[in-house]
Amino acid sequence: MNNRFTSLLRKELLDAVRDKRSVMAGLYYAFFTPVLLAVVLTAVINKATNPEDIEITITNGIEASNLVNYLSDRGISQGDDPDKLKNIELVISTDFSKQLNRAEPAEVTLIADQSEDSLRTAIARIKRALGSYSSEMVSLRLISRGINPNIINPIKVHIQDQATAVSKGGQIMGVMTMLMILSVFVAGMNLAIDTSAGERERNSLALLLSHPVSVLQLVMSKTVAVSIFGMLGLILTIIVSKFVYPFVPWQELGFSVDISGSFVLGALLAGFSVAIFAASMQLFVSFMAKSFKEAQTYISFVMFVPIAMSYAATLDFAVEELRWAPVSGQLQALIDLAKGKEIPLLQLAVSCLSTLIISLALIFGMERLLKSEKIVFGL
Amino acid sequence: MLIRMLLNWKGFSMLLDKMSSFRMMLGASLLVLMNLTSLTVAQEKNSPSYCYVDGLSDRLPCGFIQVAEDSSKPQGRKIDIHYVVIPAVKPVHPTEALLAIAGGPGQSAIDNAALFNNTFKKVRETRDILLIDQRGTGRSNILQCPQDNILSPLMVDEQGFDVIVETEKCLSNIESDLAMYDSSTAIHDFEAVRKFLGYEKLHVYGISYGSRMAQLYMRHYSEALLTVTLDGVVPMQQSVLAVGLSVDRALEGVLEQCAADAACNQQFPALRSDLSSLTNNLTNNPVTTKVFHPMTGNPETFLLTRDKLLGILRLSMYSPSTRALLPLAINLAASGNYQPLLGLYSLIMNGIDLAAGMHNSVVCAEDVHRVSTDLMADIEQSYTANSLYEAMVKSCSIWPSNRVDEKFFNPIESDIPTLLLSGELDPATPPDWGALAMVNMTNAAHFVAPYATHGVAAQTCGSDLVADLVDLGTVTDLDASCLSETHSKSFYLNPSSAQALQSKTTVEDSP
Amino acid sequence: MISVSNLSKKLGEVQALDSLTFDAYDGQITGLLGPNGAGKTTCLRTIFGLLKPDQGTTSINGIDVAKQPLAAKQELGLFPDPFGIYERLTPREYICYFAELSGLERSAAITATDKVILDLQLADIADRRCKGFSQGQRMKTALAQAIVHQPKNIILDEPTRGLDVMSTRILRDMLGKLKSEGHCILFSSHVMQEVASLCDRVVVMADGKAVAIGSPQELCDQTNQTSLEEAFISLIGTDEGIAA
Repeated sequence: MNNRFTSLLRKELLDAVRDKRSVMAGLYYAFFTPVLLAVVLTAVINKATNPEDIEITITNGIEASNLVNYLSDRGISQGDDPDKLKNIELVISTDFSKQLNRAEPAEVTLIADQSEDSLRTAIARIKRALGSYSSEMVSLRLISRGINPNIINPIKVHIQDQATAVSKGGQIMGVMTMLMILSVFVAGMNLAIDTSAGERERNSLALLLSHPVSVLQLVMSKTVAVSIFGMLGLILTIIVSKFVYPFVPWQELGFSVDISGSFVLGALLAGFSVAIFAASMQLFVSFMAKSFKEAQTYISFVMFVPIAMSYAATLDFAVEELRWAPVSGQLQALIDLAKGKEIPLLQLAVSCLSTLIISLALIFGMERLLKSEKIVFGL
Repeated sequence: MLIRMLLNWKGFSMLLDKMSSFRMMLGASLLVLMNLTSLTVAQEKNSPSYCYVDGLSDRLPCGFIQVAEDSSKPQGRKIDIHYVVIPAVKPVHPTEALLAIAGGPGQSAIDNAALFNNTFKKVRETRDILLIDQRGTGRSNILQCPQDNILSPLMVDEQGFDVIVETEKCLSNIESDLAMYDSSTAIHDFEAVRKFLGYEKLHVYGISYGSRMAQLYMRHYSEALLTVTLDGVVPMQQSVLAVGLSVDRALEGVLEQCAADAACNQQFPALRSDLSSLTNNLTNNPVTTKVFHPMTGNPETFLLTRDKLLGILRLSMYSPSTRALLPLAINLAASGNYQPLLGLYSLIMNGIDLAAGMHNSVVCAEDVHRVSTDLMADIEQSYTANSLYEAMVKSCSIWPSNRVDEKFFNPIESDIPTLLLSGELDPATPPDWGALAMVNMTNAAHFVAPYATHGVAAQTCGSDLVADLVDLGTVTDLDASCLSETHSKSFYLNPSSAQALQSKTTVEDSP
Repeated sequence: MISVSNLSKKLGEVQALDSLTFDAYDGQITGLLGPNGAGKTTCLRTIFGLLKPDQGTTSINGIDVAKQPLAAKQELGLFPDPFGIYERLTPREYICYFAELSGLERSAAITATDKVILDLQLADIADRRCKGFSQGQRMKTALAQAIVHQPKNIILDEPTRGLDVMSTRILRDMLGKLKSEGHCILFSSHVMQEVASLCDRVVVMADGKAVAIGSPQELCDQTNQTSLEEAFISLIGTDEGIAA
C-alpha cells in the first residue's frame, strides 16, 4: 500500500515539477508579491517621510506675510513653475490683517478638489500648518492678555502604549501574513487543476483508475502533492519576504517589521494545515470540472472564500468570530505572532484542527466522486 | 527658594528643554508640559524593566546601576543611577547609542525624554537613545531644596530673600555628601552605565550644561565616543557665571531687531527708553497691581519688582515664540499694562524641575572661583550678571564642595568628529562660546543658527545635522545651509497679532 | 481467463449492456466486434470495475471484480483508447509508474520496465519525454504499460485506431507473441480485417448483446457465408459502423 502511495506521489511531483506553467504560476506569485509590496511601500514611505515642497497659488499673500513665511518654513510656498504648481489655491481675505489685529477670526480660503488623490496629502499638510500657526497664536494671545495658555488644555492624557516597535507594524504584518497564506492557495492551484481536470482531459484518469490502486490513496497522493507545492510557495514567499522586507524603511514610520524565527516556524505550521485545506478544496472543485478551463472558473469562485476570510481577519471585521474559523484563525494567530504577542496556542490548534477536518471531509468527498461513474466518465 | 531660583543665574539653562521646545509645543498645544514639576517615570508593576515617561507613549526599557557615592570609599554609601533607553525602531546599530545629556545643571534627562525623542527621531530610527539621570537629578538620588509655598508666587518679593538662610535651609534637608555631585565625578557614572548596557560606542549630545558633561566625556573616555554634538555650548574655559552678560546681550538683540524692523519700530519707537524707564522705576518703586490669576482667574495682587521683570525677560528669551512678545510686553508695562508680563510670568511661576542642590554642587565646585578680573569688571557693569554672581557666591560660601583645579579649565583637545551648534539669539550661551570650545578640536565644525535661541537641535534643522553626523561619522560633509533658510519670527505689535496692517492700495498693487 | 456473465448496464436511457455473456480464454485472442455504440467500451469498463453492472458478474481468473476489485485488477493489463500518455514523463518513467501501480516493487518495476522496453524496441525513445511522440511511439508506450507487469489477461480497447501499417504490424506481432506465451487477450474493435486475421474467437456485439460467439470460421459456417464480413452483416442486419 505504502509503496503505491509513494509511487503515486513521486509521479505527481515529477509531473508537476516538469509542468512549467504550474511551477511558474506558483513561483511567480511567491517571488514577486513580496517584492512588489516592498517596492510599493518603499516608495510610499519615502514620499510620506521626505515630503516634497508644495507649490501652490497664494492669493493676496501680502496681507499675511507672517503666515506666508510660516508656511514657507514648512515647505509650502507660492510657486512659479507651472509644472510643479499644485492645483491648490490659498486665498487670503483682503481683511486678513485687519481681522487678525482685531482678534477676529481672520479668513483664508483653501480652494482645492479634496477628492483628488494626488492633492490629498498636500491639502492635509496645509491644513495642519494652518492649524499649528493658529494654535501658536492662541497661546501667545492668551499670554499677552495675562492668561496662562495651559487653561486651554483641561485634560492631559497620558498614553501608555503596550505596543512594541514590532507590534506597531501589525497592520503591515497582517497584509504580509495574508499574502503568505494566499501564496499557499496560489502556488498549488495550477497543479491542482492539472492533476485532476487535466488528468481527465488527457484521458489518463480512467487508465489510472483501472489499476489496482485504492481511490483514497490516489486522492491522498494528489492532495499531498498539491499541498507540497503550496508549502513550497509559502516557503519561497517567506524567504523572499525575509530578504526584501528589511529593505523597506519601516523605521521611518516608527515601527519595524521583523520576520522572526518563531514567526517562520508558526507560519510553516499553520501553513501546513492551510496547504492541505487549499489542496483538497481545489482538487475537489476541479475534479468536478470536465476541463482545465472549467476548473479554473470553479476555483476562482471558491478562492473567494479564503480570500474574503483573510481580508476579514486583517480588516478588523468579525475578528472574534473568525478567530476560530479555518484559515482566518491561523492567519490571526500568525498576525499575533508577528506582533510579538504570545502564540495563541488554543486558537491555533482549534483552527488548524477544523481546517484539517474540513480537508478530510473534502478528501473523502473526492473519493466518492472518483467512485462515481458519472464523474469519472462525465456521463 | 522657588522664585529666587528663577532670578538666580541657575535658571541659565533650566528652561532649555521646556522653553526652547516652545516652538514645537505651541504648535501642538502642548504647553501643558511646561508645568511639569514632578517625576513622571512610572514603573510598570509586573514588568519592572519597562517604564513610561511623560509625553511619550512608548514602552521604554529602563533600570539603574548602583555606584558608590564616593568612589574612594567603595564600601560606603551607594546611590542608584537610573537610565532609560528609547529603543531604536530598527536596531541597525545595536552596539551604538546616542547619549543625550540634559542641562541645568540639575535637570533630569529622563524627564525630558519626550523632547529628546522628538528631536532625535531620525537617530532613533536605527540607534537607541540613552538617557541617564545624572547623580543628584531626577531619579538618581535627587538633591532638592525645600520649596516655600506659603506665599502666592504672584506676590513673592525675591529681593527680600536672604540667600544664606535659604541655602542653610537647603543644606539641612540633604544628607548626601554634596562634594560628590560635581561633573567630573558624575562622568564616571555615565561610562559605567554605558558598559553596563553593553554599548561599544556612544554618540554624545550635550545641551547647555550638558555640553560640559559631553566635553568631560571626550576628555576622560574619548575611546568610547564616535561623535559629539555640543549644543548651546559652555566651553571648559568659561565660568557659567558669565551667563548674566549673555542676558544683556540677548536683550540688546531684541531692542536692535525691533528697531531694524519697520513695523516694530513704528509700533514701539521708544522701546529702549521704555525698558530703561521701566527698570529704573521698578528699582525704587515696585509695582503692586490688581490682576486676575493667570490660571484660576481669581482676583489677586501682582507684585512686580525689577528682579522679577528681568527674570521674566530673561526666561522669555529662551523660546523664539515668547521672545516675540517682549517688545509688546515692555512697551505696555512702561505704560502701566502688565498683562503680557503677567502671562509670561505665569509660564514660569510654578518653578521648573531643576535639582537645586545638585546645581549648587556643580557650580560651587567648578565655576564660582574662576571669575577673572576682566570678567569681574564686566559683571560689575551688569545688573543682571552682578545679582546672579553675588547670590551664587553667597550660596557657595557655605556649600560643601571640592573646587576643581586649573587643569579642569583647559580646552578639550580632541579629534573626535564634533559638531557645535549655537543660536544667535541665545540668552545664555552666545555663539562665541562655541568658537571658544573648539580651539583645540581638530575635527570640529561650528554652526550658528541665526533665529535660534538656546538649544539649536530642538528648534531647527540642527536635529538633522546631528542625525547626519551620527550616520556619516564626520563633520566635513555636513550642510548647515538649512539653518538660515527659515524666517525669523515677527514681534507681536499688539496683543492679537504680529501681522502689520496692510493698506488697501498695497493689496491692489500686489501681483 | 475473463468471464462475463449475464451483464446488464443502463447508461441514462440507453441499455448499453443487455445480458451479455462470453468468456475469453488463456492462450487465445478474443475479439469484441461490434459497430460504434454496440457497448464494447462499456463492457471493457465493467470488466475493470469502473462501471458497476446493474446485474450480472465479471470475473478475472475466477476473481469476482465486484467483490475484489483490486485483486481482479491485479490480473489485468489495459491498453486504453485513447492512450492517456503523460506528456511530461518519459516512456521509461511512464511504464515504470504503472508497473508500480500494478503491484510491482520499485526495483522489480524498474527491471520489468527495462525488459519491456527491450521487447518492444523502445530503447531509442525510452528517455525522451512523450510530448511530440508519433502515434506509433505512443502506441508502443501504451502497450508497454499494459504488459509491463506480465498480466495474465490483457485488454485492448480499439488498439489499432489511428495506427500506421508499421505500428499495426508491431502490435500484431506482439499480440501473437503474448498469445503464444499463454496470455488471455481480449480486444475490442470495429475493424473487420483486424478481427478476422488476429482472433481465435470473435464475440459479435450489437445493442449490448452478444449476438454470436465463435471462431471466424465458425461464424461463417453458422451464417452460411464465405467471408466474415458477410457473416457479420447477416448477424446484425447491417454493416453500419463497421470498417473493413
